[in-house]
Amino acid sequence: MMILFNYLIFPGFLFAATVGLIAGWVDRKVTARIQWRKGPPWYQNFVDIVKLTGKETILPEGAGITFLLAPYLGLLCVVLAATILGMTLIFPSAGFTGDLIVILYLLVIPAIAMMIGAAASGNPLASVGASREMKLVLAYELPFLLSVITVIIKSQGAIRLGSVIVHQAASGPNIGSISGISAFIVCILCMQAKLGLVPFDSSEAEQEIMGGTLIEYSGLPLAIFRLTKAVLLYTTPLFLIILFWAGNLSAGSIIWKYIALLVIIILIKNTSPRVRIDQALGFFWGKAAILAAAAVILALAGK
Amino acid sequence: MDTWVRVDALNGFVVAAIGLFFALTLVYSAGFMKGKQKNGQYYIYVILTAAASVLAVVSNNLLLLLVCWGFLGFTLYLLINMGDVDTGQTAKKTLIIVGGSDALMLFGIGLIYKITGSFQMDKINIPLTHHYLSLATIAYLCLAIACFAKAGAVPFHSWIPDCAKKAPIPVTAFLPASLDKLLGVYLLARISLNLFAMNGAMNILLMLIGAFTIISAVMMALIQHNMKKLLGYHAVSQVGYMVLGIGTGNPIGIAGGLFHMLNHAVYKTCLFFTAGNVEYRAHTAELDKLGGLAGLMPLTYIAAVIASLSISGVPPFNGFVSKWMVYQGLVQKVTMTPGHQVTSVVAVLCLAAALFGSALTLASFMKLIHAAFLGQAVSSQPKSGSLEVPAVMWFPAVLLAAVCVLFGVFAQAIPLKYFIMPAIPGVNFSGQWYATLSTALVIIGLILGALLFKLKAVKPVFRRDASYTGSETAALQYNETNRVTGTEFYNTIKEYGILKGIYKRAEAGFFDIYEQGKAFVFGIGRFFQYLHNGVLPTYLVWTLLGMIVLFFTLVK
Repeated sequence: MMILFNYLIFPGFLFAATVGLIAGWVDRKVTARIQWRKGPPWYQNFVDIVKLTGKETILPEGAGITFLLAPYLGLLCVVLAATILGMTLIFPSAGFTGDLIVILYLLVIPAIAMMIGAAASGNPLASVGASREMKLVLAYELPFLLSVITVIIKSQGAIRLGSVIVHQAASGPNIGSISGISAFIVCILCMQAKLGLVPFDSSEAEQEIMGGTLIEYSGLPLAIFRLTKAVLLYTTPLFLIILFWAGNLSAGSIIWKYIALLVIIILIKNTSPRVRIDQALGFFWGKAAILAAAAVILALAGK
Repeated sequence: MDTWVRVDALNGFVVAAIGLFFALTLVYSAGFMKGKQKNGQYYIYVILTAAASVLAVVSNNLLLLLVCWGFLGFTLYLLINMGDVDTGQTAKKTLIIVGGSDALMLFGIGLIYKITGSFQMDKINIPLTHHYLSLATIAYLCLAIACFAKAGAVPFHSWIPDCAKKAPIPVTAFLPASLDKLLGVYLLARISLNLFAMNGAMNILLMLIGAFTIISAVMMALIQHNMKKLLGYHAVSQVGYMVLGIGTGNPIGIAGGLFHMLNHAVYKTCLFFTAGNVEYRAHTAELDKLGGLAGLMPLTYIAAVIASLSISGVPPFNGFVSKWMVYQGLVQKVTMTPGHQVTSVVAVLCLAAALFGSALTLASFMKLIHAAFLGQAVSSQPKSGSLEVPAVMWFPAVLLAAVCVLFGVFAQAIPLKYFIMPAIPGVNFSGQWYATLSTALVIIGLILGALLFKLKAVKPVFRRDASYTGSETAALQYNETNRVTGTEFYNTIKEYGILKGIYKRAEAGFFDIYEQGKAFVFGIGRFFQYLHNGVLPTYLVWTLLGMIVLFFTLVK
């Protein structure tokens, strides 16, 4: 029962979704101010979700149960990741060996759900979106994995999040070192792509492929995808905080670190144009991967 | 006392697995090979293959092992020839690569006999010295090459994709996908654990071969247009994880490698069966001529999706557990070898390759699922109804998909406990990932999600509508010639920078050991051909030159 509570209420679904939706509102508000608009009230994202659940769900011709199932699987897996991360923050000793790798995989599943759902819709533009999404995953996974490996090396081969936290509590946060900060910068860029935000939003690109992966979604399934994005917006920065910035883990410290990362995300989003997929590939496999590889080498050298 | 056969924990479960795949292949063949010519011969070859495999695995005598091993290459040759179209070239290529490696194995066994004076596998334990050109090292490498050729590690892999494309599906599912992997990796584990005492250099070599196999084969799989050939490249790529696991040399890594061998056989056989089902109904395995089969072949589709997620290492399926064990072995390798900078660096490199290899695998299976089962349907297909294959054909695939789930969710309770742990003593399994609990949570979430739909109506009705792009129905604008099939998904990567040149060479057979070997042999042949051109004056010149040389040497 306790586990179910953790999974559904705190620190799982309800909490993560609330934080994510509010963070999404912050993003909308700041973006609006930058563009000289007023911006929505704080509860706008919640209202949007409620509205969507009330709307009719339209199934494209030829789409089956996969089309409806995919959004749920994406959401449930990212909630699982949020729960594991939240529990690790509350009880650093509660994790299991290898939970770091489990989180890595769980954070890819929303993208998989998005692609499968898009492919199931049978819309050609959705297929184009799915292919872009997959190429983007390929692009950012390489530098992202290298950065995570940097953390593993720095914490003496720990693949348990609890040990990563304990190690940083003892010898200072990872971003205090050259290798740590390089890997952290790479991770922030990868996070932007993982969240599907500008400049890496070509899989949804409203102006050219009309929502791409989401083109055929409506009503409740669309609401679920929106929630998935919201939970991701909470989970991914939290994961980075645990990996790189976990010296002091009081609630207040986590909140301001989270806000700092959110500000960076919003800044990048509002100051860059959308890149083509081959540019994203070139950027992540080129500059980002080189920086991440340098971080790995520095970490091996103990820097 | 000398014994011919011996069953221990390591080969016990391999024998059990061979039995399972043999039975499933027979069931599947009953549907797939129905009405084909030479059916009687086919079943005889399959039975002989299974018998020889079991004998090779339980054999305790190196000579017996060698004979069975060679015999398997021969039955593989015969089985590939069962295919419908031009299988001769492929069968020949397979025979030359596998047979050539058998010759090396014979040489290696000869060296072992010279070192120890025994053919008894349980009595042999040769330490590998740090001297690189010692007899022991050469013997180990010879045997390892035989394993690599059998299992299909790079660079001895090139027969597998060809074989997957040309041979009948049950043959591919039975030999390159399951049995050859089981045999090759079993023998690699046997020689690395029992026959030889490994040293650091050999471990590094194995790890590098593993990492290279993972990345290079999966990059080739990414750009394939043929469903069977794509699966064939994955059958190569996954060997990398097994070799990598065994190469780590620590118990958790080796256990991971062996578990991955078992898991791979399960999901890859399942995938080949589903590919066979698709081909059986659609009469083609070319991905750009397929599409939208999910609704028509639901059981095949479900099995294919589960096996695809499994091979991509997505939790909670079985592929995840074994890959996770291999990663753990690699991380131990990074940290537990103080003072060996080279080992740490190699282990980091391999860890990155293994992790990234998973993402690439996922990518190519997204393409496969999209192209064959989802996406836009081919217009010649019926719009609704069922194209599902006969029960004897979907049942093996669905059963194996169920095993994927079972081995993933209850990894600790069933496969690891009964099959892997007894074989590898000393696996330190500190903590585990709560596969069962996590799956239960996700299922509860799904039920809650279904209830949300029920809130609106007891039996919700969804409006069906055609998909629109640019205010016209998609069907009007995207017809047979310009629909998005999925085969073009990764053209960006194919055309990307340095990869472009590599892909071009790879497709021309530049990295194929068989093509290179052929060029070498024919090159020598051409030299002699040039000398032997049948023109009398040329022969006279040679005779004269020969006489001059002879005179000079005699006079001097």
